[in-house]
Amino acid sequence: MALAGILSKETAVIAVPIVTLLLGLLIGWLGQRSGFCSIGGFRDFIMFRHTRLLYGFLALILGAFIGFLIFKIVFPPAFEGFFWLISKGLAPVSGAPAGLTITGYIILALVGGIAVGLIGVLLGGCPLRQLVMTAEGNVKSFCFVIGMCIGSVVFTLWVSGLAVSILKSLGMGA
Amino acid sequence: MNCFSNFIYRASSPMIMADFIPVPEETSSFIDTIARNPLFAGLVIGILAAIVQLLLISAGGPEAYGFCVACHTRDLVNIGINDLTGMKLAAAPISQNAILPTLTIIGVLIGAFVSARYYEEFRTKAGTTVSYIWYLLGGILFMSFALFMGGCPYRMGLRIGYGDVVALIGVIAIIIGVVIGIKIATALAEREA
Repeated sequence: MALAGILSKETAVIAVPIVTLLLGLLIGWLGQRSGFCSIGGFRDFIMFRHTRLLYGFLALILGAFIGFLIFKIVFPPAFEGFFWLISKGLAPVSGAPAGLTITGYIILALVGGIAVGLIGVLLGGCPLRQLVMTAEGNVKSFCFVIGMCIGSVVFTLWVSGLAVSILKSLGMGA
Repeated sequence: MNCFSNFIYRASSPMIMADFIPVPEETSSFIDTIARNPLFAGLVIGILAAIVQLLLISAGGPEAYGFCVACHTRDLVNIGINDLTGMKLAAAPISQNAILPTLTIIGVLIGAFVSARYYEEFRTKAGTTVSYIWYLLGGILFMSFALFMGGCPYRMGLRIGYGDVVALIGVIAIIIGVVIGIKIATALAEREA
């Protein structure tokens, strides 16, 4: 599968840090102004029926769908997989640990999702909110961000392999 | 001891008078009024993520990867450690192929900091040492479980927009987790009261 964007590979390789840095600056500004938070949106809706933040997260899904749809029409090679359910079926978009069956990925999504929701509510926000609160001067959120950096190494070195081998021993290896 | 460290922290902070600056009156511009609406922020983030994929997908890497706090942090940290120590920690192909990994996280921190300073909403908030340890552990666990799913809630949103059913299951699981978390938090609050 050769995906091709508007930029050639040589240009894109150089553009990655620049484009993502600009994207981050914009999102940081928007996140700081609006208090955007996905887990906070679910929490506010369940506890108080406040829809402000929840609509933000739903708008993200809608905005992504509209963006993918428009640019798929304008420039198809960059969005070969869209719409994933039709082109690829139930298998997830790559990103999670590789080499499992669909059941394995669903179990990973369920376990991961429940834990993410639980930790997010108890510590007061999803990762973007924690980053924004760090930038606003919250030392606790700063500890959370440091924890995320340590966690990425811990996950890559130990947790990922452990989870995959457990699921494979249960017969969910692809 | 805590008071002492708190004092040191505040003394070293450039915004020592932060707590005494009053919140400015509602004289916000049109752009600021829009930016304060999460609905607008969500739409913009979604469309920007699609534009990022349109521009950068030639560099490699998974689809629907335009914006993700967990994955982009993983790429940045792992590739930084790889460059420093010569290890071979995994990262998304887009970050492995590029001259530098995705810098979204640094952008978010700078953007939010500049915005907080500009609108005078920067406040240093210290906590207790115990809370710092909880947040640190929480961050480690959060990262591990988020990468189980293949991303933070935002990439889940992008993947749902891309048509991924597993991501939809992930978000439903997040909602279940939020319900459990609210139950636990309420029980803890009632026990303390």
